[in-house]
Amino acid sequence: LKKYKLEVMLSVKHLHLKHALQTVCTLEAVILRSFGPEGGQVLFTRDTGQAMLSCSGTQILKALRLEHPLARMVVECVWKHSAVTGDGSKTFVLLLASILRLIHAAASKAPGVSQWSTEAAEAATARHLADKLLAFAMTELDDLICVSVAPHGFCVSSEDFTTKTQLPSCPNGFCVQALLSSFFHTRLDYVHCDFLSGLACELLGHWKFQNDTLSFALQFLNDNFPALHTQVSGFPVSSSHVIEGQVIHRDFATPCLQVNNQPVKAVVVTEYLQPKLLRRGDMLDLGCGGRVTGEKSIIPFSAWTERSLESVIATLQSLGVSVLLCAVKQSAAALALAAQAEMCLVECVSEEELSLFVRLSGVAPISDCWMIQPENVATLTFCKPIQLGAHRYADNLITSFKPCSLVICGSGEVQTEQYASAFQDAIRMLFTTWEPTRMTETTALKKPVQSHQCTSLNAHNLTEDTVCRSSDVYVLKPGCVIPAGGTFEFLLHHALLQHGRSCSASNYTNTGVGVSQILADALLTVPRQIYSHNLKSFLQTQTRVTSFTSNQPHHFMLLKNARGTTEDPEKGDEPSKLFTLDSGLESVSCKHQLLLAVLQCLTICCVDSLFIRALIFKPAAYLYSFYESKIYVRCFSLFRSSIMAAVKITHCLLHLVLV
Amino acid sequence: MALNGDEEDFEWEPPSEAEMKVIQARRERQDKISKLMGDYLLKGYKMLGECCDLCGTILLQDKQQKNYCVSCQELDSDIDKDNPALNAQAALSQVRERQLAAQSPPPPHAPQLNGGASSSQSGGTVPQPRPEHCEGAAAGGRALLPPPVAPTPAAPAAATTLAPSRPPVSPQSSTLRPVLQEAEEAVLTKLRWATTQLQSSASLETSIQLCSLITSCASSLRSLKELSQ
Repeated sequence: LKKYKLEVMLSVKHLHLKHALQTVCTLEAVILRSFGPEGGQVLFTRDTGQAMLSCSGTQILKALRLEHPLARMVVECVWKHSAVTGDGSKTFVLLLASILRLIHAAASKAPGVSQWSTEAAEAATARHLADKLLAFAMTELDDLICVSVAPHGFCVSSEDFTTKTQLPSCPNGFCVQALLSSFFHTRLDYVHCDFLSGLACELLGHWKFQNDTLSFALQFLNDNFPALHTQVSGFPVSSSHVIEGQVIHRDFATPCLQVNNQPVKAVVVTEYLQPKLLRRGDMLDLGCGGRVTGEKSIIPFSAWTERSLESVIATLQSLGVSVLLCAVKQSAAALALAAQAEMCLVECVSEEELSLFVRLSGVAPISDCWMIQPENVATLTFCKPIQLGAHRYADNLITSFKPCSLVICGSGEVQTEQYASAFQDAIRMLFTTWEPTRMTETTALKKPVQSHQCTSLNAHNLTEDTVCRSSDVYVLKPGCVIPAGGTFEFLLHHALLQHGRSCSASNYTNTGVGVSQILADALLTVPRQIYSHNLKSFLQTQTRVTSFTSNQPHHFMLLKNARGTTEDPEKGDEPSKLFTLDSGLESVSCKHQLLLAVLQCLTICCVDSLFIRALIFKPAAYLYSFYESKIYVRCFSLFRSSIMAAVKITHCLLHLVLV
Repeated sequence: MALNGDEEDFEWEPPSEAEMKVIQARRERQDKISKLMGDYLLKGYKMLGECCDLCGTILLQDKQQKNYCVSCQELDSDIDKDNPALNAQAALSQVRERQLAAQSPPPPHAPQLNGGASSSQSGGTVPQPRPEHCEGAAAGGRALLPPPVAPTPAAPAAATTLAPSRPPVSPQSSTLRPVLQEAEEAVLTKLRWATTQLQSSASLETSIQLCSLITSCASSLRSLKELSQ
């Protein structure tokens, strides 16, 4: 267990199922009109007069003024999910609303409702169903997806993502760029999605090195994205480009001499060069070094600080340093001396940029100015000011490592920010696609598939490479994509119905039937909304997909035996015929994680009293992982039971703080 | 809780058609409420953590700090439309049901009289409960009815006209004429009274209400005359 810092704010709020339903349906009504390919954009106007157009579900939901605790919690869940996968916030709310409606309908029809007080019985049934759904998802859903959905997909290779092949002409067009293009199409206008996807591929190409995997590069980009991009407003989007070097988002404080051809040496300084005279809270005890004089004054002290500064600068000069990157604002004397010594100084560099610089160059920052070692000195190929839009920045290129950063242009500040956030979400989405097994802890926890369950899972779809053994755990291969437009939902719907039927037939469990049915019905709302303007397309897609599920797919390359036999990543000769020319692509693992996140949020929605301890998690990474969320959900169930025994606390202000 | 949804409950029967209609209507109403609330949220209203006391819907608050309940103030109420004291349609259907049950041809004048008179009464009394239960913006939907301030002249007058016709009547055709004549006289008396009141009234609201009373009296007279022909 990781260590969590706990801060406690207690509150009790009695919730009823119909309130939860009403809240979630309201949120659904908010995002419904922006959903799908024909969805519109929401125009936000701030009180300052700034206007923003957005169709990103997270942005819309975050902009609402919500004081209702459940609504705020749902928005937090959506936000956290989006911070991991970068996509699917509107689908999240849609799925949550439809499952909750089905559970509500099932709960009001439940036997025994008429006997007790209706609300208590309904709430109990709803909780029971929600827990069962979550258990089902944790144990059997990824097998279902691997067996029934993934074979119809296609594995995008991570090798050829830099090639810009034509999309419609040949099957090889299913490169990373196509996936990115469909993603940008859902998020931004369709005019620029090809350009932006090409730009993203270019950036990825620079950052992916021969020996690394794509997921490593993606993770690096994701963690350091704020330091690796610059937003420039006032230019059209098409002037966005990739530039060499790492851009430090501060200007030089001292005049910079352009020595273009020679490498320069740089150091990173985190403290003040000149010992600061007086800081708040410091007590200066003035004594004059043991000399007995009649007076105690500050002048000898300041003279000493200047002498120490001179010696620091002299040391730096002797090491040949000409660039200083400082985390703090240096004193005027330090600036003057540095300028005199022809050193370029950049002040107030942000922590993220400094840490990136340190990581890329491999040097240690100087913490104590009295001890400057050669290993604090980095060699740069160049360090020059660069004019981007209205601002001048410093641009560094490190010799050993050639970084490049992204300049994102947009016509206004707000729009540029949107493009930047769309870019970051695209990187997150790619990372999720190439790293579907991030929840390794949960897969280890789940029980292996039993052989008789295997037969109920349409095992005849598998090829000889992936023989169904009794303790196999199915794992989705990296890079698995599927045509967009509801294909995933149709396939999974079909698979769930079959699973439900076969489970009831083999008498394995009675509970399995109900939850598969609920999940299957709920999944259909997504394509229904996508095709809400065009019912004919809905029926066409449905018939096309179901006709494929009845045939044996020839495309089994996606299943990998998790037992560890190293297989070559085989590529299919041609993708399944499900891919039509004009279909976009979407990532299977993103959808899978979306379903899991929805079902986890569902269990929270079905609690009957929100007895919340605001837990502030501070793990090392700020990513939301399923392990943490399991803790979170478990805490809820613990507190639910403690309510029975505990003293009732009435009406404290409910303040949800979730990191 | 020991509720186990796994076991088959053979005593549970599927809901009857009427119940299904009720469930369906309720679901549609809830959908309408959610859609309206979503629109208001997008307009900048705040969703509070409290519920309306009357209907249990989540309250919204606008930028002027006024609370607003969507279902009470915008949609027609779910239960009130079945209450005969408050709704003309419900009163009408109640009278018709009783007449059908008494198995005599329903007199054409009685429901119309009921309808005419009860509308003036309902006009006076329906808006009253609303502002007590929900603060905030007055409903636009109630604009058709006269303002609720001081309905007293109309209400007792309407009550007196209503009282004789409230109990289910099933007169024979031979007694039709005297009843019609009585009704005409009563309406004419009321009309005369209203005219005199109108001439002497100084307040705006009373004048408006008296005018509406005159209108309803005139329409009652017209229907009575049609019946007598």
